Amino acid sequence: MRIDKETKWHILLGCALILSLSPIVFALSSSFKELSEAYSNVFGLPQHPTIGNYIQVFSRLPLLQITTNTLLIAAAVTVFKTVTSTLAAYAFVYFNFKGKNVLYFILISTIFIPFTVTMIPNYLTISQLGFRNNILGVILPQLSDATGIFLIRQAMRTVPRSLIEAARLDKIGHMRILGDIVFPLVKPAVVSSGIMFFINSWNEYVWPVLILKDKANFTLPLALQLFISSEGGTDFTIAMAVSVITMIIPLLLYIIFQRYIISTFTSSGIKG
Amino acid sequence: MKEIVFENVCKSYGKTTVIDNLNLSINPGERLILLGASGCGKSTTLRLIAGLEEITSGNLYMHGQKVNDVVSGERNVSMVFQNYALYPHMTVADNITYGLKIHKLFKEEIGQRLKAALDMLELNGLENRKPKDLSGGQRQRVALARAVVKRGDFLLLDEPLSNLDAQLRGHARKELVKIHQTYGQTFVYVTHDQVEAMTVGERIALMHEGKLQMLDTPYNVYNRPANVFTAKFIGSPSTNIFEAHYAERSIFLGKQAARLPELWSAHIGKNGCREFYLGIRPEHIRLEREKTDSSFAGIVKYVEEYGNRCGIYFEMEDQEVVAICDRTEFRPGDRVYFSLAADKMHVFDKETTMNIGYPEVYCEHFYQYQSV
Repeated sequence: MRIDKETKWHILLGCALILSLSPIVFALSSSFKELSEAYSNVFGLPQHPTIGNYIQVFSRLPLLQITTNTLLIAAAVTVFKTVTSTLAAYAFVYFNFKGKNVLYFILISTIFIPFTVTMIPNYLTISQLGFRNNILGVILPQLSDATGIFLIRQAMRTVPRSLIEAARLDKIGHMRILGDIVFPLVKPAVVSSGIMFFINSWNEYVWPVLILKDKANFTLPLALQLFISSEGGTDFTIAMAVSVITMIIPLLLYIIFQRYIISTFTSSGIKG
Repeated sequence: MKEIVFENVCKSYGKTTVIDNLNLSINPGERLILLGASGCGKSTTLRLIAGLEEITSGNLYMHGQKVNDVVSGERNVSMVFQNYALYPHMTVADNITYGLKIHKLFKEEIGQRLKAALDMLELNGLENRKPKDLSGGQRQRVALARAVVKRGDFLLLDEPLSNLDAQLRGHARKELVKIHQTYGQTFVYVTHDQVEAMTVGERIALMHEGKLQMLDTPYNVYNRPANVFTAKFIGSPSTNIFEAHYAERSIFLGKQAARLPELWSAHIGKNGCREFYLGIRPEHIRLEREKTDSSFAGIVKYVEEYGNRCGIYFEMEDQEVVAICDRTEFRPGDRVYFSLAADKMHVFDKETTMNIGYPEVYCEHFYQYQSV
């Protein structure tokens, strides 16, 4: 039997979909199981579904506070990184100044510096500033992002320079050009970068675990860790319930902004 | 005073000189065409006027004031870009009025200017469309409308018709002249198309390798080329240029000699040049079957049919020569004798390639004709 090209693609994409979805299905299904069933019926759907794990999570942790902390940190980091990346990208594309290329090269090379290298200097700075055990301490070192500048700059380079020149001839200032002309044309790239910033911040573990000490200041990944570390035992059905809660907000965001994310990957420049 | 004056202007990118010591004066309210081949510096010249490029050395004056350091927004210039530069996410009406809205003109004034532009450029009914929903001709008209609503003192156009098909181009040329007559702005138009230059321009500035070759009316650029480059660039097929020398009242093209009319003998003798370039347009060559004392011989290579006329390409001592006539019975391989219309010849200095001028009587005829 001959399989046509389209069917082959469907089979391949189907496999990729199963691989991507299976951990989520596993987490979702485990979160509704008793711990004993989770060990006897590892991959199957729950035989006796229970919301006991969710009740446990809410009773053992200030989950609303933790979710709010995570949301506050992720939102602040996203807003700051998006704004600074957009402004920096605009300057790198449309301004001519001495040393522009060298500065851009240095900036981009910071992408390749491992987190562990900057972790200790950042920790010492935040400690000196007195922001340990404070969500501000998590936010402060993350107000700008070289990857975001790179991505948004690439998108801005596809905007024909003549559009900006036409606006300059009309005596229109740079902030207006950015807001009225450039931003609408690179919105998919900006929104995608924003979502990337949000998800990275939402899932971040190492930096918050260094800074935040009290449970009331914790973020969701730290809360999750409580149930799979020696501190809280390996109560993994509860951990899966925390995982599911952790997933909800990023998933909602993805659903709201998916058209921008898709258009970032499919667009190939600005068409007049 | 809406004039523009370039004074010894140079523009370089690193070691590459794009504009080389440009001296050019554009009169208030005139239609000046910057004409030249790709890379000759004509678009850069336009961008210097717009303030989109910085001058490397020299001075640029607009309104009688030096504007070297004046930013583009302060020069009261509107411009039509080659790619039209329409904002893709805005409607036609928003594209046209965006600049006016930002500068907080009264709503009534904006509406009035928009309506006038839409009427003039036949864009009514397209106000709410996005640029991607317009044809090339419509986009070009929107770009023009955006430029005219600003009512700037200077209207700059960078090859605005190059993306249109031949039929639309003819219509658009007339439209441009109409716009100029309506608003009377100083109009600087860049093109590489000599037909556009001839039909739209009141004066043509012909450029080559960053240097101004000639600045004059379309009629003079065609009939009184300042140098060999101008003679060859303007006209299609281009002017025949021969290496010639003069001796004993005869002109020698290669080894062949023909009698030179008395007027030219005297003129060349007066100028003291013995070796020169001789230029003659294809339509000013007369073809004959029989040799005369003022004709040269050649062999017909091929004949090009243009419908209303035909071009006869023939070879004279390894040089290809082209003549244009209404009808021809010549066929490839035929021997042909050709003579040159004395009042249409151009003589250029061999060293400088500059036109040495014309016998006085031809100049008189020329000016009489021009004034008609």
